[in-house]
Amino acid sequence: MMKWVLFIPELYYVLMAVVFFALSLQRKSEPRRLYTWAVILSGVGVLVAVLSARLEGMVFFDAYRVDLYSQVFKLLLALGTFWVVLTCSELEGIDSRQHAEFYLFTFICTLGMMMLVSAVELLTIYISVELSSYCLYLLVAMRRKTDEFAETGIKYFMVGSTASGFMVFGISYLFGMTHTTYVAELMKVLPGMMTEPAAIVGLVLALSGFFFKQALFPFHIWAPDVYQGAANQVTTYIATASKMAAAAIVIRFVGFSGGESAVFIKLLVVLSILSMTFGNLVAIIQKDIKRLLAYSSIAHAGYMMIGILSMTQRGYASAIYYALAYLIMNFACFMVILKIADDGHNLKIKELAGLHKRSPLLAMTLMLGLFGLAGIPPTVGFTGKFLVFAAALEQGYLTLVIIGMINATISLYYYLIVIKAAYLLEPVNPYPPVRVDKWTKSLAIFLVIAMVYVGIFPDQFVALTEAAARSLFI
Amino acid sequence: MNTLSTYLIIAALLFGLGLLGVLQRRNLIGMLISIELMLNGANINFMAFNRFLAPEPAVGQIITLFVMGLAAAEAAIGLSIILALFRKFRSINVERAQQMRG
Repeated sequence: MMKWVLFIPELYYVLMAVVFFALSLQRKSEPRRLYTWAVILSGVGVLVAVLSARLEGMVFFDAYRVDLYSQVFKLLLALGTFWVVLTCSELEGIDSRQHAEFYLFTFICTLGMMMLVSAVELLTIYISVELSSYCLYLLVAMRRKTDEFAETGIKYFMVGSTASGFMVFGISYLFGMTHTTYVAELMKVLPGMMTEPAAIVGLVLALSGFFFKQALFPFHIWAPDVYQGAANQVTTYIATASKMAAAAIVIRFVGFSGGESAVFIKLLVVLSILSMTFGNLVAIIQKDIKRLLAYSSIAHAGYMMIGILSMTQRGYASAIYYALAYLIMNFACFMVILKIADDGHNLKIKELAGLHKRSPLLAMTLMLGLFGLAGIPPTVGFTGKFLVFAAALEQGYLTLVIIGMINATISLYYYLIVIKAAYLLEPVNPYPPVRVDKWTKSLAIFLVIAMVYVGIFPDQFVALTEAAARSLFI
Repeated sequence: MNTLSTYLIIAALLFGLGLLGVLQRRNLIGMLISIELMLNGANINFMAFNRFLAPEPAVGQIITLFVMGLAAAEAAIGLSIILALFRKFRSINVERAQQMRG
């Protein structure tokens, strides 16, 4: 087998970026045609990711590993990108002259994140992170009529570049301690060094760059403002696809320590608790639904961290499953928001009033998505939380799990406020009917089925995530 | 003087000053320059580790070159966003550009 076959998903996304770069040079822009092309191309992208799921090997002088772990995450990324593109039929948040550039940056960002999940060399990891971050900085700043939210772009940029400064500085210590940049060698050498402060400082600083992408507690400051200030589609992309890549790289980096350092694990436990508690408590008072989901994403980064910090194969597998669950249920919520606010404005919770009459299907999708985020059976969110907590209990983190459960209960309150608005409240003035085309309808039905099916019959998905977690250590 | 720790201390100082600048400065260009200082602190680390500990493959120097290149790209993106902001607010002071709270 030729080696370049391993690189096909990435090559495909490069090709897509080139196509949209050419289209962005056209003087006249035709949003409908661009949308059709983007849907077709990203749909084929999912297919390419599925077909290359079983590839294995190393490319680029062992700096780039293709294995089940990376391929699973590439599939999730391709799926997230496809869904986001599919909801772009009314891309009102962005000037129609910039639609081609919107797709261009989205695909390059996906490319960067696909490289990130496969990279096993520190410089490659750094470059992939920056590639995806730069596209996101521009996407966030692209929103039309931004007088109200003009500072979002610069806020995201400043926090993001500071975080990447931390990351490079941390990586420099890791390089200094181990004299290598290859992950495979790092994983052999570093666990023996975890008693030295420089190694812990380096690892934590390097991780903080990824915590920023994941919006874990001390690096969450950007999340609410960016979720609120970016165009709805961009927010959806950040909340779904970009979280997958962040989860993947955090799992890989936490694995470096090999569970040897009690201080490091304690630090992660504290971050996880703070992240859950802070996110859930602040979410309660939010009025803007995108802001509410931003705080809920901070809380979910904390839940995912519970699985990761167990540092067992089962813990990593549960975190991967949680990432999959989070992708599905979070996207379900965002799709409903996108369709109701199809003129691109920011949706308030009270605007959901009477949704069950305006569009029963969307109301049900929203309800299942929010039940999933809250962790109510039989949705996928319950199974995800169950696996994560079970993996942590196995390692004896009883207090952490109890705090996590209390947090899940707190979060139920504000999710139920949203569901109450959609099902029980009647609007004061009737809102215009929601336009639901057949693509949205089929996507909504698919999401509902997926949320319930993956939740009730998780066996094969759990087996897949466990195989993926195993391939992390070979 | 010509020891590893000298360089590490200088790098840590640069990084610290950069971080202080990001947190303290109210001028967007000043914040951008402070971020460059942080990256340069990391660069000195890489060069020093390369020189004193792992001289054979010049990995540290290569990483430094890449970081410099990416920092230039980052500055370009940052300046373009600052320029767009300046057109709207006629100011590059962060306090003038703060409207979102909560």
